[in-house]
Amino acid sequence: MRLAVLLKTVPDLVEELALDEDARTLLFDEMSYVPSEWDDQALEEALIIKEESGAEVTVIAVDTGDVDTMLFTALAKGADYAVKIVGDFDAAMSNWQKARVVADYLGRGDFDAVLSGVQAIDDVDGQLPGLVAGFLGWPHASVITEVRVAGGSHLQLRQEYAGGLVAELETVTPIVVGVQAARKPPRYASVAKVRQVAKSATIDEVEADVAEARLAGVEYVRPVAAGHAEMIEGDIDEVVDRIVAILEERNLLRRA
Amino acid sequence: MGRDLLMALTIVMFLGTGGFFISRMAPIIGVMRLARPTDRLDNVGQRLGFMMRQVFAHQRLMRMKLSGVLHFFIFSGFVILFIDIVDAIGQVFVPGFNIGSALDFVVDLFVTLVLIGIILAVYQRAVLKPERYHGSDERDGYIILGMIALIMIGIVLHESFYPFAAPVLFHVHPRLDPWGFLGYSVAQLWIRTGLAMHPVIAEVGYILGYLLDIGMVFAFLAYLPTSKHLHIFLAVPSIFLHKTRPHGELVPPVDPDAGMAIRTVKDMNWKDVLDLFTCTECGRCQAVCPAHAAGQPLSPKMVIIELRDAVRRELAGGEPLPLAGGVVSAEELWSCTTCGACQEACPVFIEHVPKIAGLRAALLEDGEVDKSTQKVLVGWDRQGNSFNQPQRKRPAWAKGLDFTIKDARKEPVDWLWFVGDFASYDPRMQHLSRLVARLLHRAGIDFGILYEGEVNSGNDALRMGEYGLFETLAQKNLAALEKAQFNQVFTTDPHSFNALRNEYGKLGFDRPVRHYTQAFLDLIEQGRLRPEPLNLRVTYHDPCYLGRWNRVFDAPRQLLEKMGVELVEMPHHGANSFCCGAGGGRIWMEEVGMTDRPANIRMREALTLQDVNHFVVACPKDMSMFTAAVQSTGSEERMKVIDVAELLAQAVGLDEPLDRVMAE
Ligand code: SF4
Ligand code: SF4
Repeated sequence: MRLAVLLKTVPDLVEELALDEDARTLLFDEMSYVPSEWDDQALEEALIIKEESGAEVTVIAVDTGDVDTMLFTALAKGADYAVKIVGDFDAAMSNWQKARVVADYLGRGDFDAVLSGVQAIDDVDGQLPGLVAGFLGWPHASVITEVRVAGGSHLQLRQEYAGGLVAELETVTPIVVGVQAARKPPRYASVAKVRQVAKSATIDEVEADVAEARLAGVEYVRPVAAGHAEMIEGDIDEVVDRIVAILEERNLLRRA
Repeated sequence: MGRDLLMALTIVMFLGTGGFFISRMAPIIGVMRLARPTDRLDNVGQRLGFMMRQVFAHQRLMRMKLSGVLHFFIFSGFVILFIDIVDAIGQVFVPGFNIGSALDFVVDLFVTLVLIGIILAVYQRAVLKPERYHGSDERDGYIILGMIALIMIGIVLHESFYPFAAPVLFHVHPRLDPWGFLGYSVAQLWIRTGLAMHPVIAEVGYILGYLLDIGMVFAFLAYLPTSKHLHIFLAVPSIFLHKTRPHGELVPPVDPDAGMAIRTVKDMNWKDVLDLFTCTECGRCQAVCPAHAAGQPLSPKMVIIELRDAVRRELAGGEPLPLAGGVVSAEELWSCTTCGACQEACPVFIEHVPKIAGLRAALLEDGEVDKSTQKVLVGWDRQGNSFNQPQRKRPAWAKGLDFTIKDARKEPVDWLWFVGDFASYDPRMQHLSRLVARLLHRAGIDFGILYEGEVNSGNDALRMGEYGLFETLAQKNLAALEKAQFNQVFTTDPHSFNALRNEYGKLGFDRPVRHYTQAFLDLIEQGRLRPEPLNLRVTYHDPCYLGRWNRVFDAPRQLLEKMGVELVEMPHHGANSFCCGAGGGRIWMEEVGMTDRPANIRMREALTLQDVNHFVVACPKDMSMFTAAVQSTGSEERMKVIDVAELLAQAVGLDEPLDRVMAE
């Protein structure tokens, strides 16, 4: 079984987003980036499959900035190959564009399954795996919490629905899977090991052209607060009176 | 005839057991040769002096009175045993050989002491049954005591029959010497019962005594290599080879290709291997271990025994098991707070903590570490702190001050304050940091901080087995320190203090580093701060990384004295302080199998002190741990956790209200 895992970096939300309030643009170059945590889950699931049934794991990232450390970290965790798709890309590249170049690469290989994080902080509606599947013309399943090889070219998937409902799916390969969570928390890669891998392993670089974006971001602004909380001040009697008044105003108080 | 037989037997036993002993010891030495190097032959003079104090004065063993005394008796017996061996074998090989009355007396005196020692030891094992023996090989303990007792009986027996058997066996006529008082008294018994008159009985009695004595000595020699009593041979060299590098340094510089992970016995250094075979299974380390007391699955003694047994199994041809996560479980390894109490207690100076950290490193390399800990490690790597906060917010605590702290990267300062994560980011500790800043300001100290240039010191990362991360963090700090001009480093956090003082040396840093308790004491002595007596009765908790690992015991105590504070010590204090449970990364880890928190155990210890209602700390992590402990033991009314700096602020009249956020 040959597995591809899609990895990408996203702005680090520990820091504030760099927003130019006047130009209404995001300053992509001024933010720091970290690996998307859902992709970490996808990688972990792929590594579990590898340990269970001997799959070969290739991690793939589009070179939108510094992705080498992320790829070396994946190799340190146990991935077999790392591929960096290089071209005229930058951090502002859209998910649609990423899906396009990744699908082009995947189409030329013979992968049995592609695992990706089901979503990312810059892709909360989880388009990326669906788009990749669409470009490839492969089936796609999302919000998956378990992937198992069911013999031959079959996979068993576990999919979670709202309200605690769980579905067991069976599918033929090839397929694109959006992973919500791996069966186990992602493993740790020690700094020394990543460093060592960075010295000994290589990242395959593959050239690609970027497609013209179909949607363009017009402006980025902070959401305007629709309302705000009222701070009730004063001594205890005043506060109580005010609370009672508010409840009455909203018809929430029934007097006996 | 009888004499020829004895001579032949002695020679056969000597060659047999000697050969056997060497064949059992050779593989152990073989393993040590496979292991990694470590320099233990420097400072020979200092090593010798240390060894003498520990071996002949039992300096550390005497910390436990009963055990120390009984061990001293038995140990002295071993030294004296050599005289007896010379005496007994001399009698057989050189007819008429005599060591003289004085030595006869000494031998008998020590036979008495050893027998008393054995009775005390049996009493301790069978009646007192200290918990520390739990998990030790009790059978081995009794076998050894039994063998020693038999040797002693053998000595008296052959001595007592010697005058009656000698004419027949050796054709000499020694007189009965009252200086050998034990042999003399027993001989009187033989005379009175008439047994002495029968040459055959005397001869048999003598030979029996000789075999019990010399025969048992050889049997003992053959038994030792498979017993914990190997320490009889190994303890003295082990003590000589003790660690002389800075006490607080976890590991010497690590070969970047090899790393610090211990996966197989070859990844330990040869002294680590020697340690395993030197362990006496006395359990002193287990008795003081906070993780063990908290009901966690860790005992430093069992770690050593498990490792030793694994090496033995391997030597016997068994399949090697992975040491980390196999021989020693992951739960055991992650339970350790790296407090160092085990090393402090160990009478043969075994170094547990570097082994535990090395095994942790192997777990980390395999990615086996719980989620919350991982988050902290990743946070250090990305943001340089464990609070998941941006780096640029590091100096935010300093905003609330009515003066600006100098940026030591931009202008020269006298004191460079290395603040640390907790003091920078924890909202409760930020208040304390401002207080310390105001104290320095009041004393007129020219000081500065590194602002966003500082990251976590890496002390805990290293102790979690993340050498690479430690190095990354240290290098960032060193780059910032390089740019700064200062005369000394000032620290509030003992963990940073330890890293800067003992761990950064291997990366080339060698500037003076002081803890605030030391620095404030100086300021008072120089008259730059003038505290008024506070008239409080307090107890003080020694932080592991200030006290045990850095031997700063007096400065905080003198500081308290200068503030007119009466110190009432807890039973565990100074070098025997009891860890709060936060060290070695424990503060972020899941509490696996914990039945009682170390901090709560400690708090209950403090609560036994009469009329003491202030629990003084000198470490931000202690503040956090013990504030929680006061709450979970329901003693908010009775005990207040307070930092030394808060007391000092109060004593010098800084207008900080004392009833601060503690209960929030
Ligand atoms: S360092 Fe402390 S917690 Fe760790 S084993 Fe030793 S005594 Fe126990
Ligand atoms: S390691 Fe030291 S203290 Fe612990 S049991 Fe062995 S000899 Fe005793």
